[in-house]
Amino acid sequence: MLAILAQAVINGLLIGGVYALVSIGVTLIFGVVKIVNFAQGEFVMIGMYISFFLASSFGVDPLLSLLISMPVLFGIGVLLQHFMIRRVLGLGDMPQIFLTFALSLLLMNVALLLFTANYRTVQTAYSELSFHIGPLYFPVAKLIAFGIAMLLSAILYLFLHGTDLGKAMRAAAQNREVAMLMGINPDRVFCVAVGVALALAGAAGSLLMPFYPAYPLVGQIFVLMAFVAVVLGTLGNITGALIASLMMGVAESLGVQFVGADSGLIVVFVMLLLTLALRPNGLFGGWAR
Amino acid sequence: MKSTLLARRWFSVAALAATALVLPLIVSDPFALDIFIRVLLFAFIGVAWNLMGGYAKQLSLGHAAYFGLGAYTSTILLIRFGISPWIGIIAGGVVAMLASLPIGALCFRLRGPYFAIATIATAQVLMLLFLKFRDFAWGAEGTTLPNLGDAPLMMQFESRAAYYYIALALLAIGLAITHCIERSWMGFYLVAVGEDEDAAEAVGVDTTKIKRHIYLISAFLTALGGTFYVEYIYFIDPNTAFSFNVSVEAALVSIVGGIGTLWGPVVGTVLLEATSALLQSWFGSGHGGVQLTVYSLILIAVILWRPSGLIGLFTDLYQRFTYASAARAKEVPLDG
Repeated sequence: MLAILAQAVINGLLIGGVYALVSIGVTLIFGVVKIVNFAQGEFVMIGMYISFFLASSFGVDPLLSLLISMPVLFGIGVLLQHFMIRRVLGLGDMPQIFLTFALSLLLMNVALLLFTANYRTVQTAYSELSFHIGPLYFPVAKLIAFGIAMLLSAILYLFLHGTDLGKAMRAAAQNREVAMLMGINPDRVFCVAVGVALALAGAAGSLLMPFYPAYPLVGQIFVLMAFVAVVLGTLGNITGALIASLMMGVAESLGVQFVGADSGLIVVFVMLLLTLALRPNGLFGGWAR
Repeated sequence: MKSTLLARRWFSVAALAATALVLPLIVSDPFALDIFIRVLLFAFIGVAWNLMGGYAKQLSLGHAAYFGLGAYTSTILLIRFGISPWIGIIAGGVVAMLASLPIGALCFRLRGPYFAIATIATAQVLMLLFLKFRDFAWGAEGTTLPNLGDAPLMMQFESRAAYYYIALALLAIGLAITHCIERSWMGFYLVAVGEDEDAAEAVGVDTTKIKRHIYLISAFLTALGGTFYVEYIYFIDPNTAFSFNVSVEAALVSIVGGIGTLWGPVVGTVLLEATSALLQSWFGSGHGGVQLTVYSLILIAVILWRPSGLIGLFTDLYQRFTYASAARAKEVPLDG
């Protein structure tokens, strides 16, 4: 019993690491640009398809294709901010919500047209591999994904706190006007923030590919997880989003283990509604509301 | 001047209503009638969404919850208890109103994007619940409605035209309610809430109450649409009744047409459904994704270039035209 519980927690933590990359992206965009990106899950989907096609056409290992999916999605993010999001900033809720919402619909359905609804998987040497410690087993692919996800989160943290551009980003998040007075160009900072957030989503996609199928609607579950984690971890708080994502992963895994295999989604939605009802400001304080 | 404008407006509404009334007498092609019925139904649901999403700017993406509750209430009453859908449609509306109270209490604490996300979650939770209710509500397989032949008292008709007239009546009711609310104190309060909730609260608008009231009305109307839809297609399952596409389309037609305007949802639905029908005749119905791809492109274009919706485009052109003719009329006495 205890072993089953421990195994469920481990599974949850490992997948939670990937959720964290998506959540950190959502919370970064929200913190800096003050937009909720409904399409974040679709960028995970794009990252997955990039890795899938690199693997199936050129035999590139999904983990190696991280080096391609991240820059490509960074570029998409800069373009997205410059040509679309920038135009709706300050226009009120309707355009801000429905722009990224429409983008999410568009990307899902274009993917459906181009790639059909079929599940695509990549088999790697380590896809089925796992090792045991006592009664617990650790799937290698998920362990690698978790490790790289944590590494990327740490790099982002150092970037935000140790570099001028990162500090400028945090300054723009705290107070856009004062940041402008200090000589920070908000447009540039916003482009980098959205670019980085999408690059993280792309990384999540590539990391998932060895053990998770790609299909056009795959982003939905990730973005919903991210929304819950972002609220739970306090909007705009990156460390909070990371911790909350790990918690979400564990909650989902426990739900699947003890309530039923089809209960994953119900657990997510109920957690979302409970969070919004009981702790709408999240569990942790933060530098941006 | 004002009275002639008013008279002209009443005349155009009367002309539109007359056209809508005689349309099924001229067009008998069932495919075309089916498109007209879909236009009327989705325009009606758009109108219901627009009351809350357009005027009070509470951007719900979960109106499928009420569509589904209406559909399931009347179907359960019909199949389990043999009660006519004419009573069921009202019962469904009442159930939706009751459901909107706790859902509203939860979601109205949130603003902007998080309100939208919470409403998505409520509709999805309801869908998942109805997937579980195997004994009482047929679970995931759903059920077909019993075909009683030509039974007007049970809302079943041989001719499609009858369904057309019901949908038309629903839309007329929705528009009339919107028209009344728009001109009442409630309409002004709603617009105040939509413009700036804190400011509205500060000048004494009970924003919680007004949001609750408009949500009741909006949920009731949406549920009527749900009942009508399952009566029309003779089939119900959770994926149809609580379809996320219903939530999306309700918002979409209003935004594309003109959010927070009386005729916006109608204009939006006509445009989107016409596009959809054209796409179907070009690509066939086999290509999943074409319709929503085009819808989302239209939505993005409207948001980036015309956030007030297409109806704004028409009124702009109309005003430019009338001002131009008014200016020409003025010039004459000055010269002479």
